[in-house]
Order: sequence, then structure tokens, then C-alpha cells
Amino acid sequence: MGESSVLWLRVAAGLYSLGLLDAIITVIRRREGLFRVALGAFALGALFQLVSLVELGMAQHQLPVSDIFETMSFCSWIITAAFLAIYYRYKAASLSVFIFPLVFVMTLIGALRTPVSTWSSPVIANTWLAVHVVAVLLGYAALLFTAAASVVYLVQERRLKRKRQSTGSFFRVLPPLGTLDDLISKSLGVGFAFITIGIVIGSIWAFVEMGTRWIGESSIAISFVTWLVYLALVFFRVSSGWRGRKTAILSIVALACCLATWVAHATQFKSLNQ
Amino acid sequence: MKLLLTGLSHKTAPVHLREKLAIAEGTVPQALQELQKLGASEAVVLSTCNRVEFALSSPDDVEPHAIFDRFLTDWKGSSTVFDGHIYRLQARDAISHLFRVAASLDSMVVGEPQILGQLKAAYAMAKSEGTVGGLLETVLTRAFNVAKRVRSETGIGQMAVSISYAAVELSRKIFGSLQGQTVMIVGSGKMGELAAKHLRRAGASRILVTNRTWERAQELAKLFHGQAVEYTRFQSMLHEVDIVIASSGAPHYILHREDMQRVITQRKNRPMFLIDIAVPRNIDPEVDKIEGIFLYTVDDLEGVVSENLKERGKQAEQAEAIVIHEVELMMARLRIEEVTPTIISLQSQLEEIRAAEVSRALRRMPDLTPEQVQQFDAATRSMINKIAHGPISELRRNAGQPEGNQAIELIRKVFHLH
Repeated sequence: MGESSVLWLRVAAGLYSLGLLDAIITVIRRREGLFRVALGAFALGALFQLVSLVELGMAQHQLPVSDIFETMSFCSWIITAAFLAIYYRYKAASLSVFIFPLVFVMTLIGALRTPVSTWSSPVIANTWLAVHVVAVLLGYAALLFTAAASVVYLVQERRLKRKRQSTGSFFRVLPPLGTLDDLISKSLGVGFAFITIGIVIGSIWAFVEMGTRWIGESSIAISFVTWLVYLALVFFRVSSGWRGRKTAILSIVALACCLATWVAHATQFKSLNQ
Repeated sequence: MKLLLTGLSHKTAPVHLREKLAIAEGTVPQALQELQKLGASEAVVLSTCNRVEFALSSPDDVEPHAIFDRFLTDWKGSSTVFDGHIYRLQARDAISHLFRVAASLDSMVVGEPQILGQLKAAYAMAKSEGTVGGLLETVLTRAFNVAKRVRSETGIGQMAVSISYAAVELSRKIFGSLQGQTVMIVGSGKMGELAAKHLRRAGASRILVTNRTWERAQELAKLFHGQAVEYTRFQSMLHEVDIVIASSGAPHYILHREDMQRVITQRKNRPMFLIDIAVPRNIDPEVDKIEGIFLYTVDDLEGVVSENLKERGKQAEQAEAIVIHEVELMMARLRIEEVTPTIISLQSQLEEIRAAEVSRALRRMPDLTPEQVQQFDAATRSMINKIAHGPISELRRNAGQPEGNQAIELIRKVFHLH
């Protein structure tokens, strides 16, 4: 991979990060955040990525899909181009909540291929790792709130549908649906932000630590699956207002994925230490 | 002091008898004065549509029943017309009844808050006429506190027991705050108006009104400070509406499942509360199957109300326990107040004896130094205090006890107190 093509790719990833920011703001505030800005940055990022891909293809005299990093970058560019075309034609802005973070993370993975010099000091490496762990744990905690509030929402919704008021005093004190809905939105947005930050920092750490080998780690693959479930949860909620049972089920699935990720990480660290 | 509580309530007498005993608001002062003239120390009159009650206190040697009988004869022509319906409660029973009335445990709708206000007004009236200030006042002020305690310690007044309030309560359960919610009234049924009024008062910020007759819609919109919507296009505005109150006279369903499915998708599944209080119904019951839509009919709301009433019944049991405890406390307090004069006369009698004996002794011993006089004085004082200590603590201990009166009588006899 040519030096400059990686540079263009990293610039593109930087521009795509604005899209991620926009998605997070949209979830938490429940209205369009930086959409205009993010869209512009996205188009510009796509241009840089195209330059990077063309340069890479010309250097190798073949389509730049020879390994997983190149494929990631290539796929994310296709998704971006498709999104921009769909947006141009149908103005489907709500898709952006899903596409923006996805493209950003895919491009970032693509950009983490060429090995860089290792950590300048172990302190930085440890701090980097600590930030990753804290961000991910905060994300899990927020997800726990989302899942709990979703289940309570489900119970309260059932109760209101059944049209029966008193089945013991416990149910009388359940919070109103509106309050729960607000809590779910807030915790989901905050949790998603933390998990995304955690996964970006974690990927970079693994990349520096292990070079190109990092992409093959099973624990990292599970992390990305978890993140995708989270992303789906966020997307369905914002675009079609998923509530009740669907949110409850999906948030519990996401929580289970988090648990799996955690277990995978724990076993991996055990083997690393040995 | 003797206490009498007498009267009629919705539980003991039909309305035509209650009307007969009722004291018109303007003549209450006169009635209070009359009762006092007939020998009552204190009098309070409570006259509402569900109950007419008289509370009297009189000195121990005056029979309050006799006072009230004379009052009935003077004001209502005879003292016997209400026989079989009128209740006459004394002492503990009178106190217990007053507490229960104040706490709204004796009300037609248990827990309704108006009765406390009415009782307070009756007390204020008696106060301004100067017919309270003693035993009855003590009991009444305590009754107000008991009512407050019952209200804060049980959930007796918290649940909606009318259909329109049930609608407000459910809206709160669905949306949390009603601030910022939009209400649409379809049609102009009376009950719909009432529900809308309550929702408005509870904070709903925007009210839309639609009606087949444009003038009627505008009229109602003015009434609620809302906005009139043409009947032909109200469906296209439904996605902005959180609460729909349907009470139109249409002979068929005006909202169908497909319509509402479209609306809820447009709202991105944000919940909606539909209240159908029209007969025949305005909204297809199939609509209730849509996730995120809560459709309540009159029957559903009535179901909520009856559940709430049942729950109130449970809370009322707790409230009764509070009242029983409070009556005990009140009785004990009154008995302690009763023995206070005995204690004072015992102390003053002993002091009288001591003072007389000390001055006689000092006259016989003129040579004592001032210090010696002082010591003599102190010794005798301490002596009578020690003698008095036993009987005083016995008096206090027996006050408020079931068999306490015998012990109190005995002490009075032993010390020749009268």
C-alpha cells in the first residue's frame, strides 16, 4: 500500500468522523444535529477515499481488494457512494444514522493496516488501554439502563393495553411511558457514543500492538458484531421509532453480545498473560 | 364536659329527611346562637347535601340530648320526626365519628376531599360566632390533623374516581407530563368537553377542536382557547395529535385501523391515547391492536374507576386504623386534662396546710435566725412534695385507663378534695 494512499484514507476517516458525531447528536437530542455539515464532510471524504483507492489500484495493477483492509475500505466507499446517490435521489436522511457510523468504522479499519512505530512509552500504551476500557464499561452501563428501561416500558405498555390498573401497588408506581422513553433515548445515545469511542480506541491500540495481525483476533471480531447490534438498535429507534417489545428484545440481545465480548476479551488476556 | 354528635347522613337517611333537617347557610349563625342559649357550651353545625350534623358540648351537669331535643322542637316542629334515622353519639363515639368524617371515611365517595373543606368552614363559622373554644375546638382541630395524616400516609385521595379524571390519570401514565401534548376533540359530547377541560388544566398545551358543524367547532375552540379544524381535514392532522377524545354523534366508526396505522407510522410510533366516549362508538375497536395506540372506551374508563374505588377501599382500612389510634390518643389527652384540676387542688390543699403549720410554729420560736427559718421552710416544702408525689403520679397514670376513674375517685376521697 502506497504511503500517500494511506494518508488520503486517514483524511477520509477523519472527515467521516463528523458523520458519527452527527448520528450521536441525532440520537440524544432527537433532532437533526450537524446533518448538513456531516453530509458535506462525507462527500469530501468519499472523494479522498476514491483518490486513495485509485492510487492503490494503480500501484498494484489490480482492484484493491487483496486483503481484508483493502476490502473494508473498498466496501465502505461503495456504501458511501450508494448512500450519497440514494440521498440525492430520495432525500432519505434518516439512513444516515446507520450509514455514517458504519462507514466511519469500516474506513478506520481499512486505514489501520500499515504498521506504525510502536508506543513511545509504556505509560502512553497503558493510558490508551485504560481509556478504552473505561469508555467501553461506561457504554455497557448505559446499555444496561437501556435494557432495564425497555423491559419496564414493555411491562407498563402491556398494563395500559390490558386496561387494568391495580395489580398490586408495585405496578402503580411504574414510571410513565414518556419518562421511560426519554430515559431509553438518552441512555442509548450516550451508550452508543461511549462504545464507539471505546471500539475506535481499542482497534487503534490492537493495531499498534499487533500490527496487521489484529484484524484476525476473535475477540475483536465479536466486538464489531456487538457494535453492529448496537448500531442497529440506534438506527431502528431513530428512523422508525422502535419501542416496546422490539427495543426490549434488541437491547437484551445487545447486552448479551456485550457479555460475550467481555468474556472473549477476558480469555484472550488470560492467554496473553500466560 | 359532655360531648354530643348528632345528625343524619347519606348512610342513615334518604334525601327528603336530610333536606328537612338541613340548616340553610344564612341561618347557621342563628342556629348556633340558639343552641348556646339552650345551654350548650359549644356548638358547630355542618350542613351539606350528604350530611347534616350538630356537634355540642355541655357542662357535666347538663344533658346535651335535652338541649338538642328542645332545639329540634323549636326549629323543626318536633323532636321525633327523625327517629330511626338520626344518630346520637357521645364521648369516644362522637370523637371517632368526627375524625372519620374529616378524613373522608364516611363520605359517599370515600376519600373525596371536599368534606374536609366543608368541616373547616363549619368550624370557622362557629369560631366567628363565638360558639367554639374548649373541648369541641380541641377535638375539631385534632380532626383536621388526623385528616391530613390520613391523606399523607395512605393513598386514599390519589386515584381518579371519575371518568374524566381517569382520562387525565391515564394520559399522565402514557406521556409523563402533559406539558407540550396536543389534544384533539372530535364532536361535542358533554363528557368529551369535561375530559378536555381537565386535560387543559393538567397542562395540555394545544387543543384542536373539530366538528361537523363549523360554527360549533369554533364555539368550542373559543371555550378551550384552542384551534378549530375543519371536519374534512381533521384526519390529515392526526399525526400531530397525542390525545384524541372522540365524542361525536356519528352513527358509524369514523376512525379505522388503516387510518390509524398510517398515522402511527407517520408519528414514528410515538404513542397515542384515544378516548372513545361516544355512543355508538366512533373508533373501530380493531385500532387497539396497533402497537403504540391505547384505545379506551367508556367501559374501559369505568373499569379503571371501579378498580380505583376498590383500591381506595383497601387504603380506607389503613385509614381506619389510623383513626382508631388517634381516637385513643385523644381520649388519653382529654382524661389527663380531666385530672389536672384534681392535681392542682391536691397541691394547693397540702400547701395550705403547710403554710398554716409553719407560721404557727414560727410564732412559737421567735429566736430563730433567718437561715434556720429558711431551712425549716425548705424541709416542710420538700415533705409535702414527697407526700404529693405518690397520688399525683397515680392520678396521671390512671387518666385515660379504662378502670382509671375508680382510682381517681378514691384519691379525691382520701384527700377530701372537692
